Amino acid sequence: MTTTKPGLSDYLELNKYRAINLMNISRMAAKHGPLNMHRDLKRYPWIWDLLQVNSLLKRLVEGRSGNYRTSVAMVLGGVVEGVIELLEGIFYRSDRLILHEDLLPPEIFRAMGLQPWVPELLGILLPMLVPDTMQKYLDAAESEGVPPDICSLPRATIGMALKNAFPEALAIVSSNMPCDGGMSSYTIIARQMKKPAYWVDIPFDFKNERALDYFAGELKDMIAWLEKNTPGRIDWDRLKDICEKRNAMAELELDIWDMIRHRPAPMAAEAIWMSHLWFFNINPGYDTSIKLFTDLKALTQKNLEANVSAVPHEKYRALLWNPPTLHYIDLMNWAERTYGVSVILDSMSFNRQPFIDTSTPDSMLKSLGNIIMQGPMSRHTRGPAEANYFPDIFHMVKHFDLDMVWVAGHIGCKNTQAMSGVLREKCRDSGVPLLVIDYDLMDSRITPKEGIQEQVGNFMENIMKAKRLD
Amino acid sequence: MDTDKWFSKILDEPLNELVQKSMDEGQIPIGYSCSYVPDVMLSVDGLFPVRMRATGIAGTEIADNYLSSVICSYTRSLLEFALDGRYDFLRGWVFAASCDHLRRLYDNLEYLKRPGFSRILDVPHKTGNAAISWYTDELKLFAKALTDNFGVDLSAEALAKAIREHNAFNAILREIGEYRCGDKPVMTGTQYHRIVVAASASPKKPLLPILEKILDDLPKRDPLPAYRARLLLVGGHLDDPGYIGIIESQGGLVVGDRLCTGSYPGLQPIPETRDPIEVLAKHYLTKTSCPRMMEAFRERAEDIVTLARDCRADGVVIQILKFCDTWGVEAAAFVSFIREAGIPVLRLERDYRLGSEGQLRTRIQAFIESMGK
Repeated sequence: MTTTKPGLSDYLELNKYRAINLMNISRMAAKHGPLNMHRDLKRYPWIWDLLQVNSLLKRLVEGRSGNYRTSVAMVLGGVVEGVIELLEGIFYRSDRLILHEDLLPPEIFRAMGLQPWVPELLGILLPMLVPDTMQKYLDAAESEGVPPDICSLPRATIGMALKNAFPEALAIVSSNMPCDGGMSSYTIIARQMKKPAYWVDIPFDFKNERALDYFAGELKDMIAWLEKNTPGRIDWDRLKDICEKRNAMAELELDIWDMIRHRPAPMAAEAIWMSHLWFFNINPGYDTSIKLFTDLKALTQKNLEANVSAVPHEKYRALLWNPPTLHYIDLMNWAERTYGVSVILDSMSFNRQPFIDTSTPDSMLKSLGNIIMQGPMSRHTRGPAEANYFPDIFHMVKHFDLDMVWVAGHIGCKNTQAMSGVLREKCRDSGVPLLVIDYDLMDSRITPKEGIQEQVGNFMENIMKAKRLD
Repeated sequence: MDTDKWFSKILDEPLNELVQKSMDEGQIPIGYSCSYVPDVMLSVDGLFPVRMRATGIAGTEIADNYLSSVICSYTRSLLEFALDGRYDFLRGWVFAASCDHLRRLYDNLEYLKRPGFSRILDVPHKTGNAAISWYTDELKLFAKALTDNFGVDLSAEALAKAIREHNAFNAILREIGEYRCGDKPVMTGTQYHRIVVAASASPKKPLLPILEKILDDLPKRDPLPAYRARLLLVGGHLDDPGYIGIIESQGGLVVGDRLCTGSYPGLQPIPETRDPIEVLAKHYLTKTSCPRMMEAFRERAEDIVTLARDCRADGVVIQILKFCDTWGVEAAAFVSFIREAGIPVLRLERDYRLGSEGQLRTRIQAFIESMGK
């Protein structure tokens, strides 16, 4: 096995991406002007947290080298560009701004000429940058009577709405995804923001033509509602263009997934999960997204051809089930360096319906509907678990030659918590080692990073009989 | 017959004397767990519905291992009872995919203990035409499954008959309920809730004459002794009349309810038509209005305010099961809405199993005092 250690070129690469990030941020600030920037920093204090991106970059690339390090830095750099585009949407296109729940298809909103903003986005990004920053929003929601046992993502999102942290929008679009907490949170968000709201309904049992027709109908009704309540108008040619580009992204991603089946994996962790999470959910169908996946594929290919392991000394290959540990996002990096664990793939990226049939408007809506229903979070929180939840886990273990399953057991994710007992038995029967990490997605007061490390360490040393590498 | 004692006994066990008698007569009991399940479809000749409860549950140790301790205690209690064999008399059960907790309960039961007939209904989260059409198809498939499994008749005529009987039965229950909310109530909320819960946990046919007798006797009863405040009780699943008993022991008479397991909106009549399945789909989708239904917060909140005014309640008590996401979030919004309407409101969290009685008494006392009563 060939491995690499950070060298001079790696440090130069890090500094290159630091400089690019700073340059992009400075360009945005200069374009906006000092007075406007000052006003918006006061209006949206969370922008200060976003400015910590280079500190996150440093944490994520620590100990990583070569094409893996470059890929992680490149993905994060792409996220920075995407965030800047969203911020500029607030600054300059507020007359077309809508808020939408995070699993609804941005492809449609973009094709309508609308400027989408995902309320949950900050709850996902900010704790990665500043681990304890969401606590004030969680507390605000609780003070308003929202129970503390509701998943902290919708709870923090409610808190942000209560603290007036979101931009003014024309309208709000939500759905019953991915869970009851998420669905219910929009009752309070819409009430607080006093904006017209529309909800899209996704069936429970989605693997049939009837469900597909129903959901495509829901998307059609959503478009009609948005046309009535916003200046947005659907442009089917534009949607086709976006969908075709998304298809190109999906092809590239599948090629990468094929390569990471190889042992040792030529790419891992953020290069896989963060690229999917951001670019397929926020920037699908962008030319820049295609370029990013093209570059990612090329770097993965290079490692594969040279038999370079992304994770030096890859000893174990893990599946991460559930969203990554947001307030301790460098867990994967730490596990790589401490035990040689390579997190190959995760439930937030894995999906079974990547392509869109762009032949007609109806086929596009049906395909987009299918992508959502068959996609991460949605697929695993509905439909009988025997048909979706467990088969996906064991398929991924087999297909990607994984040694263990890590469930990021976010205390607020009742859908996952309620399946852990059966999963434990099924893993035991299949001989697949299972770790359920007890923690909260974004509230480090529940389990601090040391507590997460201890759980992983105990599992690795007692169950996997691993020896620490440090 | 001491009806209070008799109803308490009926509620003591899922397999009560009425259930046993009907089973002895060849009727088939089918369990269900949510108001979105059209229980009237389980009331055709040959079947009878039993709303699943876990009365008197002592603990949920085994269920916690599977469902975890952060899932609503009602679903955990049902799983514990199922694993304990307490529902073994049921020939099948029907769930609704109404919330994450019930969906996951169904998933666990499918793995751990599956009866001969098991189904989960895919209930939309909206009430528009597309949703009603979806649920109509869902109920048609459900009807076919029941017919195929049990050989029962779910034709339009059979369903129309079941609806007529269901409406007649519920009309009596509603009429009895009038006696707890008049100017001089003769019946407590606890007594009434005992009857309503027993009616959902037992076959209706043998219960009917008993209800008719109660209705005949009620006008002869003396008014209740003085109470301090009239209360409307709001929330999801509550099948333990003892909870209301504690509230009433502090002088707060529960004169109305808006509960999944209560009188409103559950006892509203079903329109009687020639095409019952579509009517059933529309009725069950629109009448229950659980917070799991999107887009209808305002209607639900206004409904509570109207109900409070109709029954001349001095205040509203919202009680929710801990860990219930939909009621948990929406109750926060209800509180401000009801307050804005000028009605005092108290929000309480509880476990399925009755506990923390002292704390509940204190909260109710303080609430009644805060209203100056």
